[in-house]
Amino acid sequence: MASSSSRGLTFKLHPLVIVNISDHYTRVKSQLNLPPSLTSTSSAATSNNNNNNSNGGENNQQKPPRVYGCVIGVQRGRTVEIFNSFELIYDPSTRSLDRSFLEKKQELYKKVFPHFYVLGWYSTGSDAQESDMHFHKALMDINESPLYVLLNPAINPAQKDLPVTIYESELHVIDGVPQLIFVRSSYTIETVEAERISVDHVAHLKPSGGSAATQLAAQLTGIHSAIKMLNSRIRVVHQYLVGMQKGDIPCESSLLRQVSSLLRRLPAIESEKFQDDLLMEYNDTLLITYLAMFTNCSSTMNELVDKFNTAYDRHSRRGGRTAFI
Amino acid sequence: MDIEQNQAELIDNFVKQASAQKGTALGSVILEATSHPSLFAFSEILALPTVAELEGTENSVYLKVLQLFAHGTWSDYKSNCSSLPQLVPDQVLKLKQLTVLTLAETNKVLPYDELMMELDVTNVRELEDFLINECMYAGIVRGKLDQLRRCFEIQFAAGRDLRPGQLGSMIQTLSNWLGTSDNLLVSIQEEIKWADTMSELDKKHRKEVEDRVEEVKKSVSVKKLQTVSRLKLSSEGSKISTLNLVE
Repeated sequence: MASSSSRGLTFKLHPLVIVNISDHYTRVKSQLNLPPSLTSTSSAATSNNNNNNSNGGENNQQKPPRVYGCVIGVQRGRTVEIFNSFELIYDPSTRSLDRSFLEKKQELYKKVFPHFYVLGWYSTGSDAQESDMHFHKALMDINESPLYVLLNPAINPAQKDLPVTIYESELHVIDGVPQLIFVRSSYTIETVEAERISVDHVAHLKPSGGSAATQLAAQLTGIHSAIKMLNSRIRVVHQYLVGMQKGDIPCESSLLRQVSSLLRRLPAIESEKFQDDLLMEYNDTLLITYLAMFTNCSSTMNELVDKFNTAYDRHSRRGGRTAFI
Repeated sequence: MDIEQNQAELIDNFVKQASAQKGTALGSVILEATSHPSLFAFSEILALPTVAELEGTENSVYLKVLQLFAHGTWSDYKSNCSSLPQLVPDQVLKLKQLTVLTLAETNKVLPYDELMMELDVTNVRELEDFLINECMYAGIVRGKLDQLRRCFEIQFAAGRDLRPGQLGSMIQTLSNWLGTSDNLLVSIQEEIKWADTMSELDKKHRKEVEDRVEEVKKSVSVKKLQTVSRLKLSSEGSKISTLNLVE
């Protein structure tokens, strides 16, 4: 049912929406008290488990229920930017949508963000389904062509992209009957400064509270991957220049000029003052580590002496205390 | 880089003009190109066959001027004053700007004295005005002026046209850079491994100590020493540490 769409709309998705959906899912899923085998968390793509089914006594094999909500944002010309989202109550079995809640929420958001419109809706699951079309049509009276943002809660460690897909609806003629079907669209992620801070924070969250060594390892790993990227890019430029020298590639002066100006920036800092400052700070850090170690050792020694005194003091109780060491 | 983008159009224009004309008319095109305030790149025009034809003819001075602007500096002009035509003030300005760029190639920190000598400027005020107005606002150079130490620290300088030999040295620099970053990657990986092994050792050591404490606790509780029970009443806190010590 999903093929790629080429209607010319460009979509920009903000991380806030993804975090909202995943938060919704996780909240509902944990409130459901599923057995531990089904609980899982990951940094930015935790799936939202919407538990709208109120049937109690579900067995453990029940697949996690789906969450639903609305996405809001701005549409300027051909660019659609999805900024925020909020949750909705929807029961897929009875297909009842709480309209009054939706309207109230819309009003509230309108007061705070006058430019945002309801652009569509979101849900969780692995693929778009037929039943989703009903919700889609229900939203069509608010927005004549809503979007459907789907988050896949399953965590796939091999997957490199975000498990988020955006679907649009198109009218296709199938077997002579015009029908609305979902078509997949591509999107880009767009961040505001504030979002970048939180995404950065979440990304670094993994080795939380680990010992100093794992935090050190994590930081080093970060630097390592950054330098690796730099390395690969330098390699590309290098190969390009070598090719140009051999004559395989025609010389392009403007690029060469840019490369030469870039190379002139190396080494980035080289002056006596910098070396002095660097060495001074290096020595200071070493000294402080040494001092901290000393303090630690002396306090351990102190404890040891106290324990020793307490242990062997019982013989000399009457004669007054004599320190053992 | 914005300078390159700004220049791209101009270069195309001049290339079209230059390829359409020959001889003396080409001279006027070259004059226009070298006085244009935003154009700093001349190798495309130099590469045109019509321009190369100028060599050896009576118009070869124009070719020399173009070459001067592509690779030379103000001092080159002064030393060859006789064989080159008089430059208009716009061209003089541009040549001085290009001189700054060439100087920036070799050093990142340019002392004022050297700059004043190269640019024929006598006082610092004039030099700074020149640097600020002509070079930094034009966007070809970005840096800091250090008046106390009388030098100009350059953070970014636009590229000049390449001399034929420069490509080799650029490739050399790039391969050095690559080598250094490769080494850095390797050493970072080693550090990560070291950190991991250290934490493993630490955990093992901690576990061993705890195991021994457990053993001792069990053996002492089995013995049920009187002295130990008396100590239990006296100091609760150091009870476990006493067990540590006794064994």
